Amino acid sequence: MKSVPTTLRQLMRDRSAALGFFLVVLVVVAAILAPWISPHPEAVWDMNPANRLKPPSRTWLFGTDRMGADIFSRVLFGARITLMIALVAVGASLLIGVPIGLWAGWSEWWIGEALMRVSDVFLAVPQIVLAIAIAQTLGPSIENVILALSVTYWPWFARLVYAEVRALKRETFIEAAIALGVPPRRIVLQHVLPNVASPIIVRASIGMGFTILTAASLGFLGLGAPPPAPEWGRMISESREFLPETWWYALAPGVAIFIVVMGFNLLGDGLRDVLDPRLRRSHDR
Amino acid sequence: MPILRLRGTTAVARRLVLAGFASLALLGSLGQTATAQTRFVFANESDFDTMDPHVAFDVGRIAVRLNVYDGLMRWQSNPAKLEPWIAESYAISKDGLTYTFKLRKGVKFHDGSEVKAADFVYSLERILALGKGAASLFKTMIDPGKAKAVDDTTVEFTLTKPSAIFLAIVPEIHVVNTTLVKKNEVNNDWGAAWMSKSSAGSGAYKLTQFDPAIGFVAARNPDHFKGWGPKFIDEIEFRGVKDTNTRVLGLMKGDFNGLGGYLQADQLKRIEESGKAKVHEAESMRVMMMQFNTTRAPLNDPDVRRALNQAFDYDGFNKNILGGQVERNPTPLPNTIWGNPKDIKGYAFDIEKGKALLAKASAKIDRPLEIHFLTGFGQSEQAAQLFQNGLQKMGIQSKVIGTPWPTIVERFSKPETTPDISIYWISTYYADPHNWIGEMFHSSGAGTFKNAHHYKNPKVDALLDKAVEATDQAVRAKYYEEAVRIVVDDAPGLWIYNTKWYGPYSKNLAGVVFCPIGNGLEMRTAYYE
Repeated sequence: MKSVPTTLRQLMRDRSAALGFFLVVLVVVAAILAPWISPHPEAVWDMNPANRLKPPSRTWLFGTDRMGADIFSRVLFGARITLMIALVAVGASLLIGVPIGLWAGWSEWWIGEALMRVSDVFLAVPQIVLAIAIAQTLGPSIENVILALSVTYWPWFARLVYAEVRALKRETFIEAAIALGVPPRRIVLQHVLPNVASPIIVRASIGMGFTILTAASLGFLGLGAPPPAPEWGRMISESREFLPETWWYALAPGVAIFIVVMGFNLLGDGLRDVLDPRLRRSHDR
Repeated sequence: MPILRLRGTTAVARRLVLAGFASLALLGSLGQTATAQTRFVFANESDFDTMDPHVAFDVGRIAVRLNVYDGLMRWQSNPAKLEPWIAESYAISKDGLTYTFKLRKGVKFHDGSEVKAADFVYSLERILALGKGAASLFKTMIDPGKAKAVDDTTVEFTLTKPSAIFLAIVPEIHVVNTTLVKKNEVNNDWGAAWMSKSSAGSGAYKLTQFDPAIGFVAARNPDHFKGWGPKFIDEIEFRGVKDTNTRVLGLMKGDFNGLGGYLQADQLKRIEESGKAKVHEAESMRVMMMQFNTTRAPLNDPDVRRALNQAFDYDGFNKNILGGQVERNPTPLPNTIWGNPKDIKGYAFDIEKGKALLAKASAKIDRPLEIHFLTGFGQSEQAAQLFQNGLQKMGIQSKVIGTPWPTIVERFSKPETTPDISIYWISTYYADPHNWIGEMFHSSGAGTFKNAHHYKNPKVDALLDKAVEATDQAVRAKYYEEAVRIVVDDAPGLWIYNTKWYGPYSKNLAGVVFCPIGNGLEMRTAYYE
């Protein structure tokens, strides 16, 4: 695996990857600094029906919503929820999926195989459908969205790692390590894991965008963070009643979702090009 | 004529519709019709979970009762008038205890058998035995076994005590075909399982299809005893469509011909401006309110409940969010009906006053309160959010949760499952103050959707009993006024507004006769121009 500075330098040379990196940084900064950037931090939660559905202006940069709250501030604070959901869900999926994949791929024991068949079942059903079923059963809350996303996303990592490990096992350096009597645990953690790290990082970055999109869909369907949380998907869902007259209501959270998903996807693609020469497709120069 | 047109729906809805369509194809297509027939499709805010006319006494599911079933009397036109329906005439004994109804001859059930007095006796027994819907109200005035078929066309009800409202709720004794229901009984369940998805009525329309996930379809009964006008609608479909936007767009695109009347000003304006549909407007009575579950801490403390009453931005909601289409109603009784004390002010939006009340309250609020709004009713959701906001300013945490109407009604039946706070409406089920103040606060109604407060106050019970036993309106009004004062002071609920009726229909639909009881859902007289 390459060092971080090298990776970054190579990433910046690729224009679209640099854009993705920039968008992700932008959203992260916005989320962290939300209370200071927001012109009306109190108007995220505070409802004032008298200011209802005001078009964008100097006072209300992105207009106001149906309860008279400031959409700009809500979008900023929404970034926190969105990133938090995606980070925890992808993190949890990594924690579940990577060890399962490593173990199943290395041991080739029937339990591992069985787990892979379970992951096949998960992969056969669209993630959103499974997530809807889980979130609906557990009731709408941020924790349940995270749970639903983690439970349905880990198979991606498990399959990825499993396939990589199976391939690596036949490599000469691993066979040499086995022949030298290195304990399997050490082989897996010190020789196999670093070699599958690149695809994991790429998958995690793309997965962030994917997970954010799914979380927004759940929010749109009313299964996300309950009100008054400024959840982007829910904001778009609310706005439909007032379209097309109040175009700003859906525009701001819609663009926000677009930016963050786009950012993570471009970044993921760029990372793949840099980290995984075997998969290099587009930017060969 | 395709019944599920896919234009004008959101992508998600479209996918859901497709899924529904696939399952329909398996079931045999819902509402497959000959081409020349006229159809009316109504988009209801909530689902129809049952077709049984004896277990529901609400507006959400009234379309079944009005179109598929008949009663002895029926509320008609506006202002609502009680008219003989299957009854030809009726007489009340001097002591006010015995009601005798003479039936029309030749009224037939959908299977061709004649409607007889015994069927009414069975229907009332069935209501009392099932104990749902209007049963809690009937139980306060009549015991099982007190209905009698004198002969085939005479039915007699003997009350336990005189009641000023018995006649008003007689329309709820929807007559069912005794032979048919008995044939489908399982373990003496009064045919409950079967009746929840079939019908045994005599009404203007005959149930042809029912799917709880979609709705019901009914075909015209050409032999209905009331006869038909020169023009009519051959087939009616009532569908549960929980998404406001899908309903409104569907009406504007012509997929739906009528919508439930709980829309707010923005939507009504949009419909009017589209030129594709029109909004019927009529004087009516419907009070929007919150019911607090008074059996559980901290809402068992009147001071906490009074404080909560100061946390709702009444003007912000009525004037800004609803654009002034409604009028503030400070009591559970509509402003426009008799029996309401004229001088009563009610509560105002005042956070500081609320905080002071909370400080002296004995119960402490140590958990987030659950505010339930009705799924599919945008207004009730926005009221919930606004209330949550007010509570937060008062230092009270709360959760806003959407629950479908049939589900929440089921939850009301027990104090343990009743939500802390539920936001909905009490419409007109009969034009009498008892419809609101009476049923909402008499202990006999505890557990129905009218009294989801589970409110029990012997003093109020006594006043309401007297109000029903008296016959003179002036005397009754006094009892109701006193009851209103006590209840408002005790604050088991929060009362927001009283409104007119705004019913959106297709532009070319005519003959919709609005009655406050039924909200314009009786389709017998409707036709396309």
